[in-house]
Amino acid sequence: MTATVASERIKAPLIPPSTHRYADVIHRLEAGGSMLPDTPENLKQIIGIYKAYAVPMDFYWRDLLYIAERVFLNPLPAFKYFISQEYLDRPNSYAGDQSKLRIWRGGETAHPELLEFMERGETGRMPKLLHHLWHDRVNMEFAEACMQAMLWHQGMGGRFNNYLESDAYKANADRAIKAYFKGNPLMLGLYALFPEMFLEQVRQLSYYANLGLFWEVMAPVFFEMSDIYDEGGFKGVPDAMDFLVNGIFAVAGRPIYHHLYIGDECYEIIPKSEGFTWLYEAALPYVEAVFYRTAPFRGTKSYNAQADQVPADQADFHYGILYADLFPVGSAGIPPTLLMQDMLHFLPPYLKEIYREHKRGEEDELIQLGVTFQRSMYNVTSAVIQALRGALLYPLDDTNPEHLMANRRFFEAQMDRFLRPEARLSDIQSQDYR
Amino acid sequence: MASILETAASVGVFNTLLAAVDAAGLRGALEGPGLFTVFAPVDDAFAALPPGTVQTLVDNPPQLARILKYHVLSGAFSREQLVAQENWDSLEGAPIPIRSTDPFEVKNATVVTADVVCDNGVVHVIDRVILPG
Repeated sequence: MTATVASERIKAPLIPPSTHRYADVIHRLEAGGSMLPDTPENLKQIIGIYKAYAVPMDFYWRDLLYIAERVFLNPLPAFKYFISQEYLDRPNSYAGDQSKLRIWRGGETAHPELLEFMERGETGRMPKLLHHLWHDRVNMEFAEACMQAMLWHQGMGGRFNNYLESDAYKANADRAIKAYFKGNPLMLGLYALFPEMFLEQVRQLSYYANLGLFWEVMAPVFFEMSDIYDEGGFKGVPDAMDFLVNGIFAVAGRPIYHHLYIGDECYEIIPKSEGFTWLYEAALPYVEAVFYRTAPFRGTKSYNAQADQVPADQADFHYGILYADLFPVGSAGIPPTLLMQDMLHFLPPYLKEIYREHKRGEEDELIQLGVTFQRSMYNVTSAVIQALRGALLYPLDDTNPEHLMANRRFFEAQMDRFLRPEARLSDIQSQDYR
Repeated sequence: MASILETAASVGVFNTLLAAVDAAGLRGALEGPGLFTVFAPVDDAFAALPPGTVQTLVDNPPQLARILKYHVLSGAFSREQLVAQENWDSLEGAPIPIRSTDPFEVKNATVVTADVVCDNGVVHVIDRVILPG
């Protein structure tokens, strides 16, 4: 594999053209491009939304780790979104001077725009509790919905889920549960009566840690992409994709773990020594669970499982952002709606300008930014596809036709997932889809 | 005859691999009892990985060990034996596919020198780092 997809681009094809329905997209991928067409507006849209996504994500990852490591099994976790100052100040491992692998040039503590929003919200300065009750805050429920998608789908590669069923994990969780409820006979009694229920809650908390550690990487990646774009650094969409591909490799070996802190005491529920990695145990399951599968949200459309409107096989679920019909009514707490609302607060001016100029302007800004987000996630998915091709298959400029055919089969298999009518791959090929 | 690690050190093109074996704490295991088959990536293979990839792994020995173990089989197997079977279970646990016999290809790497017989196993030199999945 090579350092960048760009350096692998080839000129003359050594294999016949694809006959796949998405042959154009496949040929673009084979030439080192993205599923998203390379246009200046697409570049502007995806970078702008990465920045708007990174700010709430800076809250998501911090609070996910706060809940996994500190709130833990609190039976009444009413204040789990009231993240502690310690976790707002927790140095991001990939930003700031202390970082061993600095991805973002900015600071390591919570982003200034996030802190400002937490202070004022949409309404104005008032006590934190009132912001919370008025729901004028970061929609942490979105992050939890993503975590639950990972927990529920399971079995998406990696060894994380198998470990959650192992005796070693159960012993570690047991130690942590007993330490957490030390001196609390009521909870210890309930634990003795219903051990599996507590264990399942700890498994869910392990997914909080997993997703928190995953997003701790993505927030600085997106911030840095925004800064590079602002100084004129990306020439096109493939450049932005290459940056993501390189980022995926650079942090692939990051440990995924779950630690619980009771005071200063650390309980290793999933120790780093298990060898779980960011790529295999977090990133790939995340993309599968959140971009492709998730769950049929109630709200804009009702699904009847008895009428086979919901697949019997979880692997066939197709309710992720790559398939989403973006119409954010907001009823029943549709998770993508929550994210769109979060991103709305941090849009860069150039993106607001695009939305003002199209469709119903500010009236349907949430839908327009949702479509932008969809475009941007097709680009992230392209980066994942190219990274997997680089890791498991062959360079794009390989001169062996058999290797190129192996790459072709891989790309075609990936595109097969977008053959179902709900997929938005065809839509994002046009700039008119807004 | 020299051991696998001694042989690798004498050639001079496995500096990154040997440093990684030490960083992952696998030297003892590879010098201990038992025979191994090692698919050994040359320095250029590690250098071709995007910046930061190797450093992140070196900073995290258990994760590095996992990737390195994917390059090792338990038992000593020659090229002739390897090509007779489609998949081999690595020490990491994930299977290593034999994709082509001529040229000899292991997963997405090409074996540039096969059957380097050592005291405690066999080394096959490969041109790319192979990854599970």
